[in-house]
This record gives sequence, structure tokens and C-alpha cells, in this order.
Amino acid sequence: MFLVVAGLLVWSMLRYRRRGDELPPQIHGNNKLELTWTLIPLLLVIVLFVVTIQGQNKALQRSTRPALEVDVLAFQWSWRFAYEGQGVEVVGSPGNVPELVVPVGQPVRIRLRSADVVHSFYVPRTLFKRQAIPGRTTEFDLTFEKVGTYQGHCVQFCGLAHDDMLFRVRVVSPGEFQSWLAQASRSGSPSQPGT
Amino acid sequence: MATTEVPLPALPEAHEERAGLVDYLITVDHKKIGVLYIFTAFAVFLFGGVLALLFRLELAQPGMQVMGQNTYNQLFTIHGTVMVLLFAAQVSTGLGNYLMPLQIGAADVAFPRLNAMSYWLYLFGTLVLLSSFFVAGGPAASGWTAYPPLSDSKYLQGTGMDLWIIGLALAGIAAIVGAVNLVTTIFRMRVPGMTMFRMPLFTWGILVNQLIILFAFPAITAALAMLLLDRNFGAGFFDPARGGSPVLYQHLFWFFGHPEVYIVILPMFGIISEIVPVFSRQPIFGYRALVFAFFGIAALSFGVWAHHMFTTDAIYLPFFSLLTMLIAVPTGIKIFNWIGTMWGGAISFTTPMLCAIAFIFVFLVGGITGVFLGSTPIDFQVNDTYYVVAHFHYVMVAALLFAMFGGFYFWFPKMTGRLLSERLGKWHFWLLFIGFNVTFFVQFNLGLEGMPRRIADYPERSWGTYNTISTVGSFIMAIGILVFIWNFFVSLRRGRPAGDDPWEGNSLEWVTTSPPPHHNFHEIPEIHSERPAFDLRHRPPSEADAR
Amino acid sequence: MTDEAAVLLRVSLFGFVSGIIYWFVSYEPLGTVALLLLGAGPGFAGLILVQAHRRQGGAAESRGDTLRRLAGIPPPDPPGPEDLRDDDLGVLPLPTIWPFATSLGLAIMLTGLIYGLWLIVLGGGIAAYGTWGWLAAINRENRYGRIQAEQPPANPGPDPDRADG
Repeated sequence: MFLVVAGLLVWSMLRYRRRGDELPPQIHGNNKLELTWTLIPLLLVIVLFVVTIQGQNKALQRSTRPALEVDVLAFQWSWRFAYEGQGVEVVGSPGNVPELVVPVGQPVRIRLRSADVVHSFYVPRTLFKRQAIPGRTTEFDLTFEKVGTYQGHCVQFCGLAHDDMLFRVRVVSPGEFQSWLAQASRSGSPSQPGT
Repeated sequence: MATTEVPLPALPEAHEERAGLVDYLITVDHKKIGVLYIFTAFAVFLFGGVLALLFRLELAQPGMQVMGQNTYNQLFTIHGTVMVLLFAAQVSTGLGNYLMPLQIGAADVAFPRLNAMSYWLYLFGTLVLLSSFFVAGGPAASGWTAYPPLSDSKYLQGTGMDLWIIGLALAGIAAIVGAVNLVTTIFRMRVPGMTMFRMPLFTWGILVNQLIILFAFPAITAALAMLLLDRNFGAGFFDPARGGSPVLYQHLFWFFGHPEVYIVILPMFGIISEIVPVFSRQPIFGYRALVFAFFGIAALSFGVWAHHMFTTDAIYLPFFSLLTMLIAVPTGIKIFNWIGTMWGGAISFTTPMLCAIAFIFVFLVGGITGVFLGSTPIDFQVNDTYYVVAHFHYVMVAALLFAMFGGFYFWFPKMTGRLLSERLGKWHFWLLFIGFNVTFFVQFNLGLEGMPRRIADYPERSWGTYNTISTVGSFIMAIGILVFIWNFFVSLRRGRPAGDDPWEGNSLEWVTTSPPPHHNFHEIPEIHSERPAFDLRHRPPSEADAR
Repeated sequence: MTDEAAVLLRVSLFGFVSGIIYWFVSYEPLGTVALLLLGAGPGFAGLILVQAHRRQGGAAESRGDTLRRLAGIPPPDPPGPEDLRDDDLGVLPLPTIWPFATSLGLAIMLTGLIYGLWLIVLGGGIAAYGTWGWLAAINRENRYGRIQAEQPPANPGPDPDRADG
């Protein structure tokens, strides 16, 4: 779209340079043309919208049986990850980036809350984010396709150390995940990040 | 064809045209008020720009080298606030104030004293807001959007935030009052013969812009009042612990905030619609379509506010997604019409025309990225990242600045009687064009890589390169702006005399002298089309009707 | 109806229609109220303007013309005498300090919301003084007239281009 329009623009600039004092033919408009360049963008928008809805539904789909449920609490200026029913908790602080450990390839249900101001949970790798608004709980599913460690940020400006409000997601094989979980719940107290 | 002498009041013009300070304090002349608006807005622009240069210096490399976190947060807050709310809208109001009565053949606006009050309220609002730099705790550090609960007194103490609220409330009142004035003027004070569909497109742009102001500003005024009450008087509108909702604020803010960006840009569309026909030597292509497009954009702008809230999980997504993408249709109509005006014409590449062409380019980029942002899955990825920052800087800064400067170059001769230097103008143009693109194009990439907004520092060292490039670009832009300022002062003193109509313009302001007399016109021709000055120039030598 | 009334009624229609659609797709109260108010406000103003125009003896329009004006389609006829407004031409107020004073007072008053009652009172005083001066100036003008045109503005005569619009 950009290339077409920009191309037209450049072409008209080159072709229709002023070469004298004569007035060019004074054209006031052309209704057929107006209609054309109203309808074509309209069609493009409709197509884009259909694609959007499809993409949106996919991004927002929720599994009936998520493999894991994590309660994420956003606070100034770090995160607390609580693994439901396992008694495992990971708490970070501005200097100490908390790590969320999850199994690969399985839907992870995130239950997101805020303790104070509006934050936003964002892992660029997942192409998804969600605001954490105090007084509301919001849920969404994330499925990580590849093993690895991914950076996460708070992306809703939340005060002084907003830029320090980082976290990491460590995606591991299901077996590794189980052993991490077992070890973490055995040690009892909230795990320190970077296990 | 005889011109009709419209007898104008015999005003006491004994005093000199050169105005002193007192003259500006007591003026009710729309031309002087327009100049006051433009100068004040431009000063605010320079201030906001300096803030941006400062924090771009900080961002150039990972690590905190130049300032602390709090200062950074304050700087980007005030930068955003003054640029969007105290510069962008008011520079259009200023140009509109000066030009619109001339374009419709009126002697002044409908309520000249109220017009003066609008300006003073704006100035005082700006001063109140800037005074926050001098109080304990410094200015607001909430982001220009000031979402509660962060902006509530529990999390951001100090009077800086309150002064921010009051300053903006004053500017908001100024805008509403000004809008009543300008809308009334356009409806009621057109010279006989100028029907609505013979008005110049800049005037249409101002009309729609001021109508949007009338309908949008009450929402932000309400939000600001509620925030002030929450902060200082124990209310709990936005506090979940008291039964309030932070989402409420977001709705109110964006119900205003989205139309606000159209408030900013629609007069700019009007400026482009004036410049392109003149320098293509053709009438504007599809005048009616452009008028309907103005209204279409304005109408749609009220229906899309929650596209700023896609990631809240608190709104109905498809409604806002569809309407957001639909705005591309009337906007596209305008772009095609401008190109259509150039097509088949005889184009001269003066500085105003270069600015107009650059406008079309940058608006294409900004507009298309905006349509993408309207697509929810894309927005889930790039909302609150530098992709959004790049998008809105393309539409609200690049487009705005090119249209604004184009307008300055175009109308400076009318306002002062002298031409701005073309040579310096071209330097200014290219520095601005190159500088802007260097600064902001890389930010699309940063956003796609996930760099969040409003962060004083970033852990990913790989982002350092793009950030450095961006900072370099911002300084190139700054040099371009300095060239303009230099051009302005030099041309004011020694610019080539312009005469009444240096560009062979189309609209009524080119019929009168440069600068116009106090009461604007010595005589007004009969109006037969949307191009009265053109008609006057091209009337046949016989007494037959023009055209 | 006048052009102004037509624009306001169009905005009003837009506000109502989009508000109703919005409610049924989202059930979100704030946006719905905002859109409906967008419909109600201008609608009210537009209806008042229609009334006023009719009371002032505005030329009665055929229904077709009214609908066309509402839709934004300009009437085919060139502007007639009712589009000329003699009272708008060429009357300007003299330069005056009252807008500055009133604005200063209002600004100080609002700042007083943060800093205390004394500032509100001070600002209120200045604003009241400014308003008084302003109203006095208007009163003077109503009584003695502004700088008037030397003769009533001449009607430019019948519009020669009846053929085009």
C-alpha cells in the first residue's frame, strides 16, 4: 500500500514539474475516482479486520485444562509468581530479577493481579501482553514453543523503578520442570530467583 | 467585474502599527492573538524539544549516565504533556485565529474579547504547569497519561502533580472557550457569497477541529477534576479500595485523548490542502470529498478511544478494532486527493511544497502503522513499546511539523510582508526530514524487538545501537529547527518584500495587503467559488462573469 | 434550518446511533454514556437553533431541502438574502484589559484549589473585577454603540451567477 501511494507521489512529482507560466488544465475532481479509492481501501480494511479477528481469537484462546496455573502478582517494582497448589513462590525485587519456570509446549494459565498501581506483564517472545489493574484479576494462557530463557518487562509505567521491573521466563522440558517444582516445594520458603 | 465595496468601520488608525507590550496585553485583534498563540506554542515546543534531547542523551547507551530515574520520568512526562496538550493544538488555534477570519472575509472573530481570554487562559495554564519545576518534588512524573492509581496522592506525592492538573484544566477551558468562538465565527461571519462549500479547506479543517474540541474536552476536564478530588479531597473515583476503578480513568482520558490527536492533525490537513493546489497550479481535487472526509474522520475519532486500552481485558475488542481501521478510509481519500491535485499540474518545489510532500510521505508511514496497531493481535505485541512511540511521532510530530512549517513558510509573507529565505528553508527542510527519519524509523524496529516505552534504562545491550542512532537523529532535527529560527529572525529584518500575493494563492487572504490592515480588508471581491483570489487574478478583461 | 443546526443535528444523530450500537455490542457503561451525551448535547442545541431560526422568521424550507441540508448536501440555489447578516459586518470592540484580568483571576482561583482558600478568594476577587469591567464595557457598547460602519452595509445585490452554486 505504502509503495503504491508513495510511488504515485514520486511519479507525480517528477512528471508534473512546473515548466513555465501556463496554467495546467484545471481539474476539479472525478467522482468515479473518489468512489474507487474509497471502496478499495474499505475492502482492504474489511479483509484486515477478518484476519485480525482470527488472530485475536487465537491469541486469546484459553485451554480447558491448562498444564499449569501461576498466580502472578505485580507490585512496585517486581513480581511474585505463585504456583497454585504446589506451595511454591518466587518473589523478586528491583535488583533481583525473578524467574518464572514453565514447561515447554503446554498451555500455562496466568492469573494476573496488581498490588498497587497499573502494571503490564509482557514477554516479547510471546507477542502478548496484559495489564495488571488493581481491583481486577485477569487470566490468559501462554504456550511456550521452545526451550530457552526469555526476558520479560513491565510495560505500563508504574513509577520510579518501572524500568527495573524485569523478570525472566525459563522454559524447560516437562521432566526438568517436575524436578524443579519438587525441589522448590521441598525447600519450603519462597525460592530465590536464578535456581 | 466590479468588486463590491463593503463599507468597513472607520477605526482610529492614527497610532503606529508597531505594537508594544501593552498593546499585546489589551489586544482583541485576532491577528495579534494568533501571533501570541503561535509564539507561545512555539516556545513551548522548543522547551519540550530540549527535554527530549536530554532524555535521548540518557537513552543513547544502556546504563544511567546523564540523570537519575526520577528525573528521567519527570522529563518524559512533561515532554509528552506540553507537546501534545500545550503546543500541538494551540499552534493550529493560533494559525486558525490569524487566518480563518481572513479566509472568510470577516473583520474579526465573533467574540474578540473572549478570544483574548482564551489566549490568556492558555498562557496562564502553561505557566502554572511549568511552575511545577520549582516546587518541592519537582514536576509530575506520571507519564502524560497520568493513569491512577499511580497519579493518586498515595503513590505520587507533591504539588507537582496537582499543578499539572490545574495547568491542564486552564488550558482545557481556554480550548473550549476558543472553540465556541471560532465555530460561531465560521458559521456566522462569512462574507456574503461565501457559502459553506466555498470556504477554503483550511477553514474547514479549523471548523472540524474546533467542533471536536467542543465535544472532547469535557471528558478530560472531568477526568482531571476527579483526579484532583481523589488526590486532595478524599474522593475515590479511581481507587479500587474505595469502590472506584482505574479503568474508568482510562476510558475518560482516551475518550478525550483520541479525538485530541485529530484535533491536532485536522488543521494540518487543511494547511496541506491549501499549499498543494497553489504549488501545483490546479484546484484541489475533490473538494467535496475532502470536506466529507474531514467529517468522517472526526466522527470515527470518537468511536475508537479504547484502542489505547486493548491490553486491559476490560473492553469489547472488535468494535474498536474495526473502527480504528476504518479511519484509514477517509484519510486515504484525502491522500489520494492531494496526489490527484498534483497529478497533471505544474509543480514548483518551494519550501512549503516540499513540506507538504514530506507530510504526505510521513503521514503514509504513520497512518499505515496506525492501522496495524488497530489490529488487536498486533497491538498485544507492540502496545506500550517503541513501535507505538514511533507511530505517533510520525503522525503527531513529523506530519505536524511539516504541515506547520509548510504553513509558516506559506503564510509568513502574508503576516509580515516579507518572504522567508528559500535557501535556509531548504536546509531546514532537509535537516528536519533526515533527522526525523533517523530518529524515529529505528524505533519501529526497537518496538518490534520488544523495547518498552517510558523506561529510563534497558537491560538488552543489543538495543544500544538503534538508540544511539535515534539520539543522533534527534540532534540533527534540533539543528534543523535552529536553522528555521535563524531564518525567521533574518527574514523578518531583511527578507525580500512579498507583496500581497507572492504565491498566486487561491483563498481570500491573498486579496488583502501583507500584512493585512487592522480591519483585514479594504475591499472584498464577490465570491463565486472556493478560489476567490484565483478568480480575481483570472477574470476576463471584459465585464462578463468570471470563470 | 440553518447550516449550524444541521451540523449539530448530524453530530447528535451520530452520537445516538453509535451509542446504541456500542451498548449492545459491549455493555460497557461509560463509553455508552459518553456517546449518548455526545448525541444529547448537540441535539438539544440543534433543536434550539431550529426553533430560534423559525421564530426569527427564517424562510420555510421544503422537507426535501431540510433532509438534504441535514445530509450535508448543499442547496442548489445561490445564497439568498437570509444568508446575509447585516449585524455581523464591521463592528469591533476596542482593545481592553478585561480579558487578561479575568483570565488571571480564574487561573489564580484554580491554583488556589491546591494551595488554599486565601488564593481562591484572591483569584476570585480579581476575576470578579475583570468580569465587572467586561460587563460594564458591553453595557456601554449596547447603550452607545460600537464603532459603527458609516452607512449600513450595502447588500451586494442579486447574485449574478444563478447558474452555478
